[in-house]
Amino acid sequence: MTSSRQTRFERIEQAIIVSSLLLMAVVTLQPILNLLAISFSDPARVPAMSGLAITPSGFSLDVWTLLLNHPGVQRGILNSLFITLTGTVLNIVFTTLMAWALSRPRLPGRRFLFVFVLITIVFEPGLIPDYFVVRELGLLNTYWAVILYKLVNAWYLIILVRFFEEVPNELLEAAELDGANPFQTLWKVVLPLTRPAIATIGLFYLVYHWNEFLRPMIYLTDSGMHPLQVVLRQFVVEGDKLSMVGIDAMSNYQAAGQISIRALNAGMIMLTILPILAVYPLILKFFTKGTMSGALKG
Amino acid sequence: MSLEEKRLTAAAPQIGNVPKIAGDRLRVQLRTWWPYYLMLLPGIVYFLIFHYFPIYQARLAFEDFRIFGDNVWVGLKHFQTLLNSPSFYQVLVNTLIISTMKMVFFFPVPILLALLLNEVRGSSLRRFIQSAIYLPHFLSWVVVAGIFIAALSPSTGVVNEIRGWLGLAPHGFMTDSGSIRWVVVISSIWQSAGWDSLLYFAAIMAIDPQLYDAAEMDGANRWQKILHVTLPGIAPTIATLFILNVGLFLNAGFDQMFNLANDAVRDQIDIIDTYVYRLGLQSGQFSLATAAGLFKGVIGMLLIVAAHKISKRLTGKGVW
Repeated sequence: MTSSRQTRFERIEQAIIVSSLLLMAVVTLQPILNLLAISFSDPARVPAMSGLAITPSGFSLDVWTLLLNHPGVQRGILNSLFITLTGTVLNIVFTTLMAWALSRPRLPGRRFLFVFVLITIVFEPGLIPDYFVVRELGLLNTYWAVILYKLVNAWYLIILVRFFEEVPNELLEAAELDGANPFQTLWKVVLPLTRPAIATIGLFYLVYHWNEFLRPMIYLTDSGMHPLQVVLRQFVVEGDKLSMVGIDAMSNYQAAGQISIRALNAGMIMLTILPILAVYPLILKFFTKGTMSGALKG
Repeated sequence: MSLEEKRLTAAAPQIGNVPKIAGDRLRVQLRTWWPYYLMLLPGIVYFLIFHYFPIYQARLAFEDFRIFGDNVWVGLKHFQTLLNSPSFYQVLVNTLIISTMKMVFFFPVPILLALLLNEVRGSSLRRFIQSAIYLPHFLSWVVVAGIFIAALSPSTGVVNEIRGWLGLAPHGFMTDSGSIRWVVVISSIWQSAGWDSLLYFAAIMAIDPQLYDAAEMDGANRWQKILHVTLPGIAPTIATLFILNVGLFLNAGFDQMFNLANDAVRDQIDIIDTYVYRLGLQSGQFSLATAAGLFKGVIGMLLIVAAHKISKRLTGKGVW
């Protein structure tokens, strides 16, 4: 449609469509930018700040200094990083291995194995039996309880199988003619061809681990093992300010007395979002590049 | 067919000639496939331990839990207790109300967004909007709840600030039992309507451009094209997702309710999942909580299997 052929009415229509979508984008981003602005503002000026502000009022690193010096937050960051990185690596390795085997059309027992996996999607016995399994295995209060919880996500597994099935057979045969064993074929032929799919699934696992709060909260009773999401929840949702900031920290830190809870909330939320924002461009890149959009529903 | 598979088929007739040694066939199969079974092994062990073992553990629903000694089998006692309990009835009703509200007010939004996005001509403008509205999908409900608590705060929240301009008094949406379910719907839209529009957008992209050209030749305007080309084009996707949503009807959203809840409004958004959590892990009524979870699990399974079958019949595409 060329613009010369557009009537005035159509141009107004277009303007309404674009502005309503832009409004949606603004409503999505503004609350996040507001919290970012608050977290970098002069603590004394935070109470008077508008919820609409997207630039800091004054500038100060007090909130971030207080948060990053807080032992609970520091442990939370380390715990989250450890769980997320270990978990994601194991997720990728075992999902890939399983998907590669399941993608071989003539694998004996293939159909049975698909049903075996599908049953777990269809029927979930619930939270309490999960808890008892972890307890019986003696995994309560270990990081393994959290890391292993979704070791192989059945949906991602099925999606990856579909991608592996797309790899041209001639390439696989050529590798086998050269004497490659199944591990070598996977490593040298299949993985290089399906890198965007693996990367996307890896990123989804990464986001899942980073965002998970329920299982760590239930399985890790030692609060020193809690990841950032659990610390954030205690602070922002349950409003447990004292254990968060701590009387000690309040008195040890000069400016702490002035810092409003609103500023600390904002800083804590931004701190928890930060890694997501860091990998978000990658997620978008692989999505726009790859053909995943149709198949993946996170 | 890969080489080793060909080798296997070539070997197969010979084996077939000597049916008395079925073990040979197995041995040949194993010699070819053992590396693959080795790769499957960790995954299979994982599924057995973390998905099948819990199914066995769910027997707790039919037992009285004992801290010391063995549990006692009590049959359907806990299910009877549940079905006669007003509190379970309440969470069941809450679950259905919230799922229905999401179905009516959330479900159409991603479709609308995809249709509007398709009308945006500039590709960089469109990419900006998409990048913005997909983002919240990747934030946890702890974070989203934190953002909503801040935005809806009666004293400092942006929503009440705007209400102030209109001369309206500040309203504590998060603590008002009359508005919390709407907060649930709106926060769902904020968090995932953008991302969910992706599936519809992909379906629109897959529509044959010639159909639009033909419609244009016939003098169709924007709305006629949407009505007669785009919507029919994405109808199968809409149908599949609608059915999938019905299949997941009892999953009203644990993470969301759990983080949006506070003492003032908990009874409004207490769903089966949060009930199971509270009853089991906070009050220690493990058997009753397991029974409630199992009740949801079984009905959920019937719904999702039915959804899969209906979707397959209607659109040729199943849920999985």
